[in-house]
Amino acid sequence: MTKYLLKRLLHGLFSVVMVVAIVMLLIYSLMNRDLIFAKDPQYTKKQGNQLTTYKYERWEVYGYLDYVPYGDYLLQLKNDGEIDEETRSKAASIAAKEEKDSDVAKEYVAKFKNEYESKGYTIVRLGYDSRTKQKQTMFAYKDTPVWERLGKYFLNLFEVDNIHYVENTTGEALENTGITFTLFDPLYNTDGENKVFSPAIMGNGTQHKYLLYFDGEFPYIHQNLLNINLGVSYSVNKGIDIYHTLTDRQDPNRNVTVTFPTGLTEESPRDLHTATYVKGTRDSTQINEARFTDDYTNVNYYKENFSKTGFSFVIGIISVVLAYLLGVPLGILMARKKDKLVDKIGTVYVIFIIAVPSLAYIFLFRELGGMMGLPKSFLLEQATWTMYILPIISLALPSVANLMKWVRRYMIDQQNSDYVKFARSGGLSESEIFKKHILKNAIIPIIHGIPGSVLGALVGAIITESIYLVPGAGYLLTNAINQYDNGVIVGLTLFYALLSILSLILGDILMSLVDPRISFTEKAR
Amino acid sequence: MENHELIDLSDLNMSDAELFAPYDNSAVNAEKITAPRYSYWKSVFRVFFRKKINIVILLLLALVIAFTYIYPLFSNYDVNENIRDSAAKHLSPDGAIEHFGFQLKWILGTGALGQSTFDAMWNGARISVSLAFICAAINMTIGVIAGAVWGFSKKVDIIMTEVNNIVGNVPYILVIAVMVMVFTGSFWTLVFAMTVTGWIGIAYFIRTQVVIIRDREYNLASRCLGTSTFRIAIKNILPFMTSVIVTLLATELPSYISYEVFMSYIGIGISEMSLGRLIQGAVPSIGVPGWGFEFWSPTAVAGIITVVLYVVGQNLGDASDPRTHM
Repeated sequence: MTKYLLKRLLHGLFSVVMVVAIVMLLIYSLMNRDLIFAKDPQYTKKQGNQLTTYKYERWEVYGYLDYVPYGDYLLQLKNDGEIDEETRSKAASIAAKEEKDSDVAKEYVAKFKNEYESKGYTIVRLGYDSRTKQKQTMFAYKDTPVWERLGKYFLNLFEVDNIHYVENTTGEALENTGITFTLFDPLYNTDGENKVFSPAIMGNGTQHKYLLYFDGEFPYIHQNLLNINLGVSYSVNKGIDIYHTLTDRQDPNRNVTVTFPTGLTEESPRDLHTATYVKGTRDSTQINEARFTDDYTNVNYYKENFSKTGFSFVIGIISVVLAYLLGVPLGILMARKKDKLVDKIGTVYVIFIIAVPSLAYIFLFRELGGMMGLPKSFLLEQATWTMYILPIISLALPSVANLMKWVRRYMIDQQNSDYVKFARSGGLSESEIFKKHILKNAIIPIIHGIPGSVLGALVGAIITESIYLVPGAGYLLTNAINQYDNGVIVGLTLFYALLSILSLILGDILMSLVDPRISFTEKAR
Repeated sequence: MENHELIDLSDLNMSDAELFAPYDNSAVNAEKITAPRYSYWKSVFRVFFRKKINIVILLLLALVIAFTYIYPLFSNYDVNENIRDSAAKHLSPDGAIEHFGFQLKWILGTGALGQSTFDAMWNGARISVSLAFICAAINMTIGVIAGAVWGFSKKVDIIMTEVNNIVGNVPYILVIAVMVMVFTGSFWTLVFAMTVTGWIGIAYFIRTQVVIIRDREYNLASRCLGTSTFRIAIKNILPFMTSVIVTLLATELPSYISYEVFMSYIGIGISEMSLGRLIQGAVPSIGVPGWGFEFWSPTAVAGIITVVLYVVGQNLGDASDPRTHM
């Protein structure tokens, strides 16, 4: 069985890679790359040469191309010790027109061109812009092929935090790098007297200060050692990692009493467990200097609200439970009262849900709920539990219809099978046949769908969430599509594909557990 | 036999030649088997019209189709018709009839530019329904043919199952959205986006049906007698699947309208003023008292069209199953 499942899993992972490859190919090679600036406020403020360089800078950040400004090239030469500062500044001051360059500049421009053109780069030289009075500039760029992006994407998918992180990113190693294990987390042991037992693994030289720790928030044990890197959001949550966009809790901030490493205690939303290293930040501001003892100052804030997946999951899971609690018994009822009034009413409802566009009936539910005084959209500022009701109902009612349809279908199919006729001829009562024989067989295909609906709750409901403005994962996708946030689209696709593969496999496992006739072992098959 | 009186032939005053005709006892006639003539499609419609509700729904469908395709030809809908008339904007049905006098086009009031909601709605319906029909025609044709090949050929099966596993995992909305982003949202872009992967799901469904029927005894017998695979597919299996295909069509058609409405609602739809675009444009007016018709009329029409298409399709699907022809 494990062998079979492993095969399935590998097969599934292959499909996931292919799915991401297709989406990347569509987005990065077919789509006009200027579109990603459509909703960028900084882009609209820029003009002339600045606009051009800004575009190339952003494209480099988003992985479209490799961008090398002439200035950076000269700096690199200086750092390598090939030229001194004087030559660098002379070489860097290129003239408005190429012919008028000084001899030193000419020499290095030619060098720059030679070096990068031989590597397949395109050289762009922008002259003095008389309209915006912007200085001339020069750079080289080279497009990254999609297959290379795909490779990088999967290679960098998992990042393991290590003690060389600071050295690798800043070029300077910290003193005393290493990983320490403590039984007494310094955050909980500030006064130094009553020791509180709280194990934690801490790092120095790593990206995160705390690699493993316990706190009061679900799931109580947290790790920063293995990080999932889905890329960076372009516009929806600009500059923030997509994994964090999905999983970090959302505004407003929540204050708690925090004792900082310097001993200062105040009401603050800072979650010191999430500290990451940013070079030189402690000395840059007085606020940081008064609170921190090292450069691990970049912290997340405690937030009041669930994360995006959190909201989707809470709404999704309640509606799934509700749907199964209602849909399965109603389906059974319809099958037992076939062609009676209950069955007919149920069928009309099923037809309504299947045929009417979901947008239309969700708006209908929304208006009906609004008439009863329920909040019609999600407002994080005035959070009440009543705002969950309508999205949950809107999500549950269609799945109730779906379950009713299939439970009824499977049960009626079973009713005509030979073993039921045999049971009936053997003198079993109808209710006995239904409960003990038909139901057991009819429910098996329904069980296959349970993992799918549970995991599907994580992904969120695109239509429902965008109508009720739920800040969940489904709404994120519509936002990302609207704002051309390609990073988020690819990240979400990976997330969706992984979950759907996983739910299929889990569905099969669950089915084999429930139904002894289904087995994945070689012998039994 | 209620009338037991026997007729005396001599009372009829007819000659023997008139009363009797010699029967041609030829070998050809002796071989003829007389059975009631059976025409498949005639039986389908006989069963279909046996239910009185179907006639009502069919009339409703005719009405809807007439309004979507014929009415816009006469209405000459123009969004900017009353753009200069500031008193004509956002009128309720009563207000519009009062303002313009009673005409069919004003019975649902006016929109943000003073345009007739009724005309806009049917104009949008024409675009959405056309989109659904074209997409369904393309997807069903390719899907059924590909599904048949997929079901018969083992080699194709291996490749296509893999393709289905992969493409089936790309969210459909994402495919459409990316296509619209790439090629800008015109009518034909949306058709392309909905059909580029849409046929695979249908083909997979048909493939499963073909695999089930392919190895039934009557097909084995047919193959033993030397019937070619093509003939088996066309003559033995296709008639068997008619009801399945019609039922599938009944669920597919409304789903394209639903997709179009939803895609337009989230802002990645087509540029033409389809039903979805009308709904999207009228979302801000849901909450305003008296403006509700601008939102609810296109929404209701989308619902009515899809329900009617679905019910007709389902019932036609039931009727086209020969087992109901008894």
